[in-house]
Amino acid sequence: MPEQPPVGAERTRTAALLDSLRAALGDDLLEAVSAADMDEAAIVPSALLHAVDVLRSAGFNMLADIGVVDHHPLSPRFEVAYHIQAIDAAAKPVVPVRFRLRVFPDDAEPVVPSLVSVWPNSNWAEREAFDLFGIRFDGHLNLKRILMPDDWVGYPLRKDYPLRGTDRDFVAGGRQGTVPPVNP
Amino acid sequence: MSTLDLSKLESSPDLLISQGDDKDSLVISMGPQHPSTHGVLRVMLKLDGETVITSESEIGYLHTGIEKQAENLFWQQAVTVVDRADYLAPLSNSLCYVLAVEKLLGIDAQIPVRAQVLRVIFTELTRIASHLVQLGTHAMDLGAQSIFMYAFEMREQILRIMEFVTGARMHQSWFRVGGLALDVPVGFIALLDKFIESFPERLSDMRAILEKNVIIMDRLIGVGRISAADAIAWGLTGPNLRGSGVAYDVRKALPNSGYENYDFDICVHDGGDCYSRFVVRLNEMYQAWRIIKQGRDRFPGGPVVIDDPKIVPPAKTVIQHSMEALIHHFKLVSSGFNVPEGRIYQSVESPRGELGMYVVSAGGNKPWRVRWRPPSFYNLQALGALAPGNLIADLVAIIGSLDPVFGEVDR
Repeated sequence: MPEQPPVGAERTRTAALLDSLRAALGDDLLEAVSAADMDEAAIVPSALLHAVDVLRSAGFNMLADIGVVDHHPLSPRFEVAYHIQAIDAAAKPVVPVRFRLRVFPDDAEPVVPSLVSVWPNSNWAEREAFDLFGIRFDGHLNLKRILMPDDWVGYPLRKDYPLRGTDRDFVAGGRQGTVPPVNP
Repeated sequence: MSTLDLSKLESSPDLLISQGDDKDSLVISMGPQHPSTHGVLRVMLKLDGETVITSESEIGYLHTGIEKQAENLFWQQAVTVVDRADYLAPLSNSLCYVLAVEKLLGIDAQIPVRAQVLRVIFTELTRIASHLVQLGTHAMDLGAQSIFMYAFEMREQILRIMEFVTGARMHQSWFRVGGLALDVPVGFIALLDKFIESFPERLSDMRAILEKNVIIMDRLIGVGRISAADAIAWGLTGPNLRGSGVAYDVRKALPNSGYENYDFDICVHDGGDCYSRFVVRLNEMYQAWRIIKQGRDRFPGGPVVIDDPKIVPPAKTVIQHSMEALIHHFKLVSSGFNVPEGRIYQSVESPRGELGMYVVSAGGNKPWRVRWRPPSFYNLQALGALAPGNLIADLVAIIGSLDPVFGEVDR
C-alpha cells in the first residue's frame, strides 16, 4: 500500500466523524481505519442505520455507491461497502468529503438493513447487490432481481459461481435449482 | 406488447406506491425497442390520460457480466473489458481503472508527464464525442433530425483521430497501467490542430441552431425539474447535478492526471430542468475544447510509460538484445504482475458524471473485485422521481436529458 497521505481538511472532518461514531456506536464499531483513499469504519450490520444517522447529521448527504465484495473462502465472507460523501451544494467548486462504511453480514444468511428510507437511490443499488451476491436488505419494499432475469438461479458475482457454463444453462426455464457446471 | 401480464404489473409494489385502486389509469410498456430509450430500456408507465402517474424502469437487457470478467483477467488485460462498459466514453472508464491500479501499486506519482497530458487530451476528446451523441439523439427525439447528422459528423472527426492514434474507433483500450499502450504516431499533432481549429466554429453553429430554438425551449424548459437537494439525495452527478446548480466536478474537486494545471470552468445552470442539463452539456464541450487546446500547447516530450519492467513490458528493440528483458516480457504476458493487497475507491469525471471504481486486490495477479459506480445507473434511477406529473411525450425528453448509456447501466 502507498504511504499515508497528509491529513488535510477532509481528513480532519472525517477524523471528527470517527470520534462521534465511536461515541455513538460503542462496541458496534469494530474498526476505524484511515485508509489511503479515505477514512473508513467497519461496523456490525445491526448498527448501520444508527451509523448512517450520525453520518447524516455530520452533513454526509449523498450515497455514492454500495459495493459488495465476496472474500470467499475467507470469513467473514461478504463485505458491503457504502461510499458516502458530503456535498455542500452552495460551495463553488464543491469538494466532497468521502467516507466508507463497511459492513460484514453473516456468511450463510447475509442480511443488512436497507437504506431506502434514508437515501432513495439505495433502491437499485441494493437490488443489484441482492441480484448478483444474494445479500438481503431488511426493509426493502421491492427486493427483486434487477440485471439478471427474474427466474435466474444463483448469484453470479459470488466467487464460487463459475465464469462459464454451457448454453443449455441459459435456455429459458432451464437449470432449476442446480449450480451450473464448471467448464474451464 | 400483447405478452404484457397486467396482473403481474399490478402486483409490483413500485407501481402501486400510494396509488390505491384507480380504475381509470392505463398501464403501458414503453420499450425495450422504443427508439427514444437509446438502447434497451423498458419503462412501465401508469398513465392518467397522457399524464404519467408512476414509472418503473426495467434494466438489465445489456448485462454482460463485465465485473465478473474483470475478476478473471490479469490486471493489465482487464483494461479491455473495462473499456466496454460505457461504450460512448471508453477512455473515461479506462482512466478510472488504471488510476486505481496505479495507486494500489504505488506508482501513481511516476506516470510520465507526456502520458498524463495525452490522457487528458483523449479523455476530453471522448467527452466531446459523447456529448455530441447525447445532443444529436436528444435533438432527434425532439424532432430535429438534421442536428443528429451534424453531431455525428463532428463526432466522426474525433473518432478518426482516435482510430489514427490507437487503431480503434470505439474501444481504444489505449490507457494502460503505467502509462499508454503506444506513443502517438507522426501526424497526430497536425490532425489535432485541424480539429482544434475547426471545432469552435462548428460548435457555435450548433449553439446558434439549438440554444434559442423555440421548439427546443418549449420542449425542455420546465420539464423534468429536480431541485439540488433532491438531485443529491438521488445521487445524480455530472451534467445532471450541475444542471441543478451544484458545482460538483471531479476534475476540479479531486483532480487526477494533472487536471489541476488546466484552466477551465465548471458549467453550472440553475434551472434543474431538461433545458439546464442541455445547456450545461453544450457549454462543457467548449470547456473540453479549452482543455484540449492547453494540452496541445504544452505537449511535452519524453516517454509515455514508466520505466519498470515488472509492470510494463520492455520495448521490442530492448528485447532483441537483452535476455532479462525477454524474461520480463514472458512473465508479464504469461502471468501478469501482482498488485499488493489493498482497496481503493477511485473516481473520475466521465461525461455522465462521477464514475467511481472500488478496486480490491487480494495480492494476486488478477483483480479480486472491480466494483463500478456507474453514473448512468444512478442518473437513470431518478427517472422514477422525474417522470410523474409529466406528459408521456415529455418522458422522451427526460430520458434523453439524463443521458443514460446502457452498457454502463447494465455492465
